[in-house]
Amino acid sequence: MDNRDQYLQMFFDESAEYLQQLNENVLLLEENPEDEEIINAVFRAAHSVKGMSATMGYDRLTDLTHRIENILAKVRNKELLINEYIIDTLFSGLDYIKLLLDDIRANGEEVTDVSDYLYKLEEILENGGVIQETEEIEMEVETGQQDFTGMLPLTEEEKEDIYNKMTSDDKIFNIKVMLAEDCLLKNVRGYMILKKAQEMGYLAKSNPDQRKIEDEDFGNAIYIKLVSSLREKQIKQELADIIDVDEVIIHTEKKEVEVVKEVEKEEKKILVDNSKKQREGLSNIQVSPTVRVDIKKLDNLMNMVGELLINKTRLEGLNIQSDVYQDIIQQLDRVTQDLHHIVMQIRMVPIGGIFNRFPRMVRDLSKELDKEIDLIIEGADTELDRSLIDELGDPLMHILRNSIDHGIERPEIRKQKGKSPEGTILLRAYQKGSEIIIEVEDDGAGIDTDVIVKKAIERGIVTPDEARQMEERDRLNLIFQPGFSTSEQVTDISGRGVGMDVVRSVVEALDGQVYLESELDVGTRFTISLPLTLAITQALMVVINDEVYAIPLGSISETLLISPDEIMQVRGQEVILLRENTIPLVEASRQLNLPVEYGRYRENEEIPVVIIKSAERQIGLIVDELLNQQEIVIKSLGKYLVNIKNISGATIVGDGDVALILDVRNIA
Amino acid sequence: MSKRVLVVDDAAFMRMMIKNILIDGGFEIVGEAETGRDAIEMYKELKPDLVTMDITMPEMDGIDAVKEILEFDKDAKIIMCSAMGQQAMVIDAIQAGAKDFVVKPFKPDRVLAAINKLFNE
Repeated sequence: MDNRDQYLQMFFDESAEYLQQLNENVLLLEENPEDEEIINAVFRAAHSVKGMSATMGYDRLTDLTHRIENILAKVRNKELLINEYIIDTLFSGLDYIKLLLDDIRANGEEVTDVSDYLYKLEEILENGGVIQETEEIEMEVETGQQDFTGMLPLTEEEKEDIYNKMTSDDKIFNIKVMLAEDCLLKNVRGYMILKKAQEMGYLAKSNPDQRKIEDEDFGNAIYIKLVSSLREKQIKQELADIIDVDEVIIHTEKKEVEVVKEVEKEEKKILVDNSKKQREGLSNIQVSPTVRVDIKKLDNLMNMVGELLINKTRLEGLNIQSDVYQDIIQQLDRVTQDLHHIVMQIRMVPIGGIFNRFPRMVRDLSKELDKEIDLIIEGADTELDRSLIDELGDPLMHILRNSIDHGIERPEIRKQKGKSPEGTILLRAYQKGSEIIIEVEDDGAGIDTDVIVKKAIERGIVTPDEARQMEERDRLNLIFQPGFSTSEQVTDISGRGVGMDVVRSVVEALDGQVYLESELDVGTRFTISLPLTLAITQALMVVINDEVYAIPLGSISETLLISPDEIMQVRGQEVILLRENTIPLVEASRQLNLPVEYGRYRENEEIPVVIIKSAERQIGLIVDELLNQQEIVIKSLGKYLVNIKNISGATIVGDGDVALILDVRNIA
Repeated sequence: MSKRVLVVDDAAFMRMMIKNILIDGGFEIVGEAETGRDAIEMYKELKPDLVTMDITMPEMDGIDAVKEILEFDKDAKIIMCSAMGQQAMVIDAIQAGAKDFVVKPFKPDRVLAAINKLFNE
């Protein structure tokens, strides 16, 4: 062992010196490509490294330097002219030598895979590099003596495999297939070549291998070792018949099993271990690697998709009567939709990211308040847009705190009420159509609307008169009013000035909605609904008072054309009867406070009505005209125009005009 | 007798391109389909000598259509029409049994070379 260590040290020192020499001399060679002295110096240094490596048993290094040496020999014999490509290749060869030496120093063995590089060297040896390519190939065809078995090194297992598969009729063919320079979809061609080879016999090996071919990670040559009982000529014909195959060269290995043994002997020198890669079969599924990307880049991407969409819409607006135009529009439509879909998907993250912080909080809080609470989380894998996730944490936290603080009763009170002492909070997320629904449900005390109203009056949010006229739903919703807090005493848990109004405004800023349902002594449920994505949505375009408006499709249940005599009066409110439901009608221009005379629609024979749904009810919105459905890119109105009633944003339509987006849920 | 071809592509423009190439090359166009689903129906009805098949189409894509057509007729000759960047799908199609492929934008000589090769086999 001592001896080996001693040798190893010397091997490292000396090969480093040779490597330095090689680098210097190849540089000189580049400037003086004809200088025999320099060529000889490079040759000798490479030869020395080869000799040392072989002695030490480093086969890759030996093989590598051997081939470099071969190239230099050709150069010396004037069979190969030095050109830039060869110099570059020689330099990268020197880099590989260094990598292998580093490997040995670090791990005691060669790790770096040099098979690709060896293949490149082989190409130079065969074709004389780029410049002389055509001539060399012609020569090859004439002589047919070029041997490229070295391009197809076999591992023990592969040899074994060939032994087992071969019958007495079979021969081993080493095949080189050259693809045309201008071959399109090279990887598919490559695949077809392999497939054809498989049809003709047993494909023992290919270089590049299947995966490299499918990844289009190869030059124009494919080497194949094929075991087949067909005749050489037939194999050649079959392969040459594939489109874009320029040339097929075949060498038949002599015969039968002895031949394989001979090959084996030769192959032992070549320790390029490709076995793992090669074992992977044709139907191999590749695991796609992941990339971390800055969220800003995704935002930019989304913006770009939005811009693309606007321009697509404008193109559509041209409405040219031409098949080609229609066709382009259709294709563009599909591509942009796919693109939008993909970008959306990229941006999706599971909501579990924020749900995960709640169990700890619930545990701590319930301990502090002496309550027993079981938090159940469902649908943590529901995905939604990354930007929504970031915003949702605080509102959800607030709702949960409210449930724990005000909702769930103390164990002794629960027992009195006949409930189990342990309260339950259910936190659930799921997708419903193009919306994400998040529910927080507790089995606590429920909300007493009388208490709510009393508080609201105390705080001057409503007058007693107003309160008397309010529906139950509106009374409940008083807790969303700014400055409302129902806690008997202000605790530091949920009564900190930020009330439910903050929850509502955050959710609405995300184009979502909060609903509240509650029943005394049974429990309370908060439901947050959010659009899947913020930026782009499908909308119905309508005309109101000569202006185009967009109504997000998500809030529309249907559209109707009614006649004036279908309109009925119920307590001064105009309604229509739709499938036995009474639906109140509102006039869009009145909702928008447009300066026109209201009620003119009664003079029309047909009145367009958009039925808008919110969680609790439906209303019919009377517009002047229904246009079309289209994808819109939602743009904010900017910071100077916040809180415009019934308008949630704007979009750019086909002709470049701006259309306002109706905040119809507010109207409903 | 000239060979009968079924052209499948959802884009009318592309169908026109390939039709012109094929007609110039002496083929007879017996039908056009816009979706994979239609292609299968028309194949069964027309029994063409050759199908040119687009990959991305609504309702059913070209790869599934290839599979179904070959189930119906294992000797069906189908050439895939691919755009750059659809390599993986072309490989799927060839795996499924399509005979060859051509790449958009179509070059007439390449398309005809691929098709003629099929019939010379």
